[in-house]
Amino acid sequence: MHVRLALFATLTPYLPEPSEADESTTHERTIDLPDGATVGQVISSLGLPDEPRVVFVNGRHADDDGILADGDRLAIFPPVAGG
Amino acid sequence: MPYRDAPVTGSDEDAVLHKRLASARVGIIGLGGLGSNVAWMLVRAEIGTLVLVDFDTVDPSNLNRQFYFADQVGRLKTEACMENLLRIDPNADLVVTNTRVTENNLAEIFANVDLIIEAVDTAQDKAMILSVAGEALPGVPLISASGLAGYGSANDIVTRRLTDDVWMVGDLVSDTSDHPLFASRVTVAAAHQAHMAVRILLGLTEP
Repeated sequence: MHVRLALFATLTPYLPEPSEADESTTHERTIDLPDGATVGQVISSLGLPDEPRVVFVNGRHADDDGILADGDRLAIFPPVAGG
Repeated sequence: MPYRDAPVTGSDEDAVLHKRLASARVGIIGLGGLGSNVAWMLVRAEIGTLVLVDFDTVDPSNLNRQFYFADQVGRLKTEACMENLLRIDPNADLVVTNTRVTENNLAEIFANVDLIIEAVDTAQDKAMILSVAGEALPGVPLISASGLAGYGSANDIVTRRLTDDVWMVGDLVSDTSDHPLFASRVTVAAAHQAHMAVRILLGLTEP
């Protein structure tokens, strides 16, 4: 299945190489995943640092055990300190 | 504020805008560099009710950017902020709670607000609020901030819409761990948050 992956800010260096369908200039990629893949599995495979992050699937918050479906849009945002 | 109850002298549109803001209830999580400044901006915008939450006291180091005064050092930020806001508008409707917002109390404290402003300090708390608010209060707009430290260009601070319900203000990368804080840049971010709040309450969702 295919999932649209968006990584923001300091996470953009962890984006996979763009596929033919991707525009390499954006912070989004299309990734190919086995059926039943979870958010946590994607995070592990990308090697994201163990720092605070927020995960959205189709614009709704999702936990690491959330199961992805074909066509989902997975977005991961790392807030930084300061307020 | 003297003009809160005065007749609106502009067009009918002005009266409608004023009414929308005056009937709104906005929550602010954290009354530091962002939240204390967002609060006075929203009081001046004559937002109906502000729900203000913080657990901290005013520290001398806060005075370089936060909406407090030297004679308020040591006092609870909730109380000092309320006092200052009431000097701007003695009729402002303020609900203050002195506590740390957690995943267990967020939904209760901010039940019935029209919009939430995340203005906390740590990345962990920001992530928690972004996660919990989306789950517990679906459909309530959340305006968060990330990346406002340092003396990088003020023009790098922008408002983005992350999801249908989440807006993010900041340059996304300037962390307080390795950048100092300046009132000028912090207040730019606070103004972005306050202005996005006004726009959302007036029915405009694009940054």
